Amino acid sequence: MSLKNHPHTEQAIFDDQEGAESILDKTWLSPPGFLGWFTHVNQRQIGFRFVVTSLIFFALGGLLALLMRLQLVQPENTLMGAEFYHQIMTMHGTTMMFFFAVPAMEGLGIYLVPLMIGTRDMSFPRLNAFGYYVYLLAGITLYLALFLGMAPNTGWFSYVPLAGIDYSPGQGVSFWTTMITFIEISALTAAVELIVTILKQRAPGMTLNRMPIFVWSILVMSFMIVFAMPTVMVGSVLLALDRTFATQFFVASGGGDPLLWQHLFWFFGHPEVYIIVVPALGIVSTVISTFCQREVFGYTAVVLSMVTIGFVSFGLWVHHMFTTGLPHLGLSFFTAASAMIAIPSGVQIFCWIATLWGSKIQFKTPMLFIMGFFAVFVIGGLTGVMAASIPFDMQAHDSYFVVAHLHYVLIGGAVLPFFAGLYYWYPKMTGAMLSERLGRWSFWLIFVGLNLTFFPMHQLGLDGMPRRVYTYLHNMGWEEINFFVTCAAFLMAFGFLLTFINTLISPYKSRAAGSNPWHADTLEWWAQSPPRNYNFRHLPVISSRTPLWQKAPLYKVTGIRADRREIIITTLLDAKPQGVCIMPSPTYWPFVLALTVGFGFLGFMFKPILFVVGFFLSFFAIVGWLWPARPWLAEKPPEDGHPVRGLQ
Amino acid sequence: MSRNQQTANADIDVSNFSRHLNGQNAPIWWGIIGLILIELSVVSAFTVTYLYLYMQHPQWPPNDIAPPPLFIPTWSTILMLLSCVTMYLAGKSVEKNKSKGFVVYTFASVIMALLVLWIRWQQFDNFDMRWDQHVYGSLLWTISGFHFIHIVSAAIGTAAIGLFGMVGFYTKQRQIGVVVDTMYWNFVAFAWLPFYLVLYYFPRL
Repeated sequence: MSLKNHPHTEQAIFDDQEGAESILDKTWLSPPGFLGWFTHVNQRQIGFRFVVTSLIFFALGGLLALLMRLQLVQPENTLMGAEFYHQIMTMHGTTMMFFFAVPAMEGLGIYLVPLMIGTRDMSFPRLNAFGYYVYLLAGITLYLALFLGMAPNTGWFSYVPLAGIDYSPGQGVSFWTTMITFIEISALTAAVELIVTILKQRAPGMTLNRMPIFVWSILVMSFMIVFAMPTVMVGSVLLALDRTFATQFFVASGGGDPLLWQHLFWFFGHPEVYIIVVPALGIVSTVISTFCQREVFGYTAVVLSMVTIGFVSFGLWVHHMFTTGLPHLGLSFFTAASAMIAIPSGVQIFCWIATLWGSKIQFKTPMLFIMGFFAVFVIGGLTGVMAASIPFDMQAHDSYFVVAHLHYVLIGGAVLPFFAGLYYWYPKMTGAMLSERLGRWSFWLIFVGLNLTFFPMHQLGLDGMPRRVYTYLHNMGWEEINFFVTCAAFLMAFGFLLTFINTLISPYKSRAAGSNPWHADTLEWWAQSPPRNYNFRHLPVISSRTPLWQKAPLYKVTGIRADRREIIITTLLDAKPQGVCIMPSPTYWPFVLALTVGFGFLGFMFKPILFVVGFFLSFFAIVGWLWPARPWLAEKPPEDGHPVRGLQ
Repeated sequence: MSRNQQTANADIDVSNFSRHLNGQNAPIWWGIIGLILIELSVVSAFTVTYLYLYMQHPQWPPNDIAPPPLFIPTWSTILMLLSCVTMYLAGKSVEKNKSKGFVVYTFASVIMALLVLWIRWQQFDNFDMRWDQHVYGSLLWTISGFHFIHIVSAAIGTAAIGLFGMVGFYTKQRQIGVVVDTMYWNFVAFAWLPFYLVLYYFPRL
């Protein structure tokens, strides 16, 4: 508890009193210095770290993609061998799915959700910090494996029996199974705290139907993570047991079933796509609303569509397995379910078109990325409907057509909106505007580059080029397109590089952003840019969906103490104030716990008994983390009628 | 002005609001529900995995292997469920500010869990099949081991709660730690039921 910082405050100080600002600064301080860095628990620091780290992994994943393209630039290229190619192919997919997309979206949520709902921190700040360290450790470990030549080489889906110990001896796949299980801990902790923060900490008056659409999208994403990610954890644990203890889950000769792996993996893997796309849809709605200066048309329809996408995405994993010989009735069901997801997606797109219709659109860089999203995502969606049809899938399966489709969906559906969000919220995060000129160059290079890279891949697939191959023969008719695609990939990479340069130089070159440079309507723009550690000087009371566009000033919450970390708890549906919660202070324990859990996981790969050691060490860290700090909060109200002003 | 555009017409003063959040108004209560949902997904994935593999085999268990005996596991299941009662009584003691009762009931629950663990350990010795002989054995060992680890976690966590209780931390107003620990304890106890059914009854069908 933060009581430790102010052990014997005789007179309580409230945040609406004069001079409370400097006390708030001190109360919510993140300790300075290198060692202090490991104690930070404030949502702003943790969210920012998630976003920056995920962008570094995005750059690394992109570099691996360029290496792959260099290998495929001409037939029978000898730049790299099959083994190394398979390692970087696996690492590219694993990085982009597990180490970029999910943490990036969660990081954005961690940074923005408390600001958007008008609170001062996430529900479980220490858990938040723990999740970040787990993510960082998992990423560093996997990349160390790559540099040591021990990276996994079976694709980001790790199909058995290829991923079994007979066909993939050594530690490569073990690194994959262990680190995937490990990093999912990070994703799950973030999901739970996002859910609780959104449901219990919304500013008074922010009923569910006044909640910003981006917050809705993060809520849906978080629930999807809670139900999808445990399945891949179970799958990877079973695979790890098969490899380490010779259990027989996926071994046909021992009564196991390789197809079980595909069921477990894709039951997670398909929702995973929407776990990434749903928050991106939230970004799209937010940016469109701001740059049209009007509320999104059909708020309820947009929200219900996101919820529907969340539900339906769990019912179509088998469309990844059409060619595995499953019963026809089952295949038909999954075709219908796959096509059905186009309905809520379409509803959203029509709502956005209706919002854009007749408004005076400001084509700033974030809006350009959103326009790019429309074009690219719709093409990806259309080829998705094609691939959901069994006869077509039988032909196109495991060809470059599918590579083209999935990149259209993922880059169009997640990366472009994420970059729109980056340009949109960067002024809030740093206090500086990103350069418009560099932003426009970046967008056009990415947009042209990605279309020139991936559109021809449809043709490559229709011409019969299989995916996941490290080279191909002469005279297959694929040379010219592959050469062209590789050149275009570099063009796209240059576009991304411009954005990275932009983010690095803008704080020094660009103008100060001010608190609300886009004249947006959601609460994060009410805070200073960048926000203080406590987000808001006063917690707001909400009475509309667009609090910053309403003419009347915002009312505020009074009676929150400035001398300890207090936040308001509100009811689930109506956001009526229920109580005040005291938040934990900075500490090393989350970092220590991440180390002990990491020790257990990594130790398992080399000596399974070390997992047991890590397991028990973790309990010491948890007890240290939860150890109640004296003085404890007083229980009985003092005579003056203020129940909590004094401390025991 | 539309319904969504109504404005609040006053500041809200929360200085007299409770700082002791003990039930559904405490974020940690919802956090534990989140943890339980995650674990439920894991339990479901294991159960579905068992049923999927069960359906792939005309003979289950294979090669005339006998299903594990029922008598002792049934008693350990009952013991596990009984420990929920002592945990409930521990919570009641906190509500009455009876710290001694709280400590006694908490450690009684931990001892019952240790007893369950000891019984389970004996069962591991008596399984007719190793984990690497056939997928049936893999399921038996993995699911039993998975739940075994969870009882260990719940026991250690509850022992820590008992320790905090001994230094006098828990009282009627300050009891959220006990509430959420009991929720998790109950979950661990009841999560055994689907496993008990598939591991001990399905091989007999």
